Amino acid sequence: MSTEKVMSRPAPFVAGLQDGIPLLGGYIPVAISFGLVSLQSGFGVWETILISTLVYAGASQFLFVAMVAAGAPLWLVIVMTLLINARHLVYAPNIAAYLPPSRWWPAMMHGLTDQIFALALVRLPKMAEEARLGWYAGVSLLAWFSWIFGTALGAIAGEELTTRWPFLGEVMPFALPALFLVLLAPRFNSRLWTLVLAVTIGMAFTLKLLGLPNAAIPLAAVSGAVLYHLMKGIWGQGSKNDG
Amino acid sequence: MGNDIWMVLVICALGTFLMRLVPLLWMQRHLARRKAEEAIEEMPTWLSVLGPLMIAGMFGVSLIPSHPSPTTWIATLLGVAATYVVWRFTQSLGWPVFAGVLVFGAVVLLG
Repeated sequence: MSTEKVMSRPAPFVAGLQDGIPLLGGYIPVAISFGLVSLQSGFGVWETILISTLVYAGASQFLFVAMVAAGAPLWLVIVMTLLINARHLVYAPNIAAYLPPSRWWPAMMHGLTDQIFALALVRLPKMAEEARLGWYAGVSLLAWFSWIFGTALGAIAGEELTTRWPFLGEVMPFALPALFLVLLAPRFNSRLWTLVLAVTIGMAFTLKLLGLPNAAIPLAAVSGAVLYHLMKGIWGQGSKNDG
Repeated sequence: MGNDIWMVLVICALGTFLMRLVPLLWMQRHLARRKAEEAIEEMPTWLSVLGPLMIAGMFGVSLIPSHPSPTTWIATLLGVAATYVVWRFTQSLGWPVFAGVLVFGAVVLLG
């Protein structure tokens, strides 16, 4: 790589950090809420931070502390937590083809959250192979640490923060839908994808409104995939352009 | 936190990690086998379709404001529009998100 190239582009790790900045708006406020809720459910500060560090999966963490606090059977806590996180099963296979050989990848899968997956799926194919590990390390470590930092902040000073700046907690999480939209926008490039994406978005939206927040994403995605194959059969579009 | 709760926490953490890791190992083996057979390194179509659709699902779910009210719904609509317009002009990642949050926040503040 020439000096000019090195000068004009940030190092992959730094590029990953930059790409991860929009995530902070979504991660930190939600992590603060988790820290607060966990403490109110009877967990200690270090226990709360440890849950965020080890489980590192938003919705299931809220469920975990709520169920334990309610005295639910422990086997049910495990089943429900893992069930909510089952959507993660399809993430790694989708990006596997873009991961160059390295012994670090297995450990790095701990950081493969919804948002990191969404970013990786769109960004990895567009970068040089040698940049991918550094980029992924940057973006996933920033997200992980922001989640842990937000949790600690929420556990230590969550109540004061939410009373003093209630506005921030409401506004910053909009960074997540905005980010997902940016990642999806280039996909609206054919009649087939536009239809399938619109239906999937509408279905996830409706399912969440109906009170099924955890089933909404996988159910909508699977229905969208069925629709994709149906419409592809009807419209007979080329798989390479639409896949 | 009692010992039993610690145990549950470790199982949940390990289970979640394995759900992120094992499919990677499976897919890497699948790709290596395809390469060995000199076939095209392709992932199954259903899988490549499911990826973007999972993002679409996340987008749909995240559109619902944490405190739904006429103001936050309008803010969501305008925030999405602002994000899209800025994306059309910049084709970047950070600016559209920044613009979306700014417009969403302005509408909530003024509403």
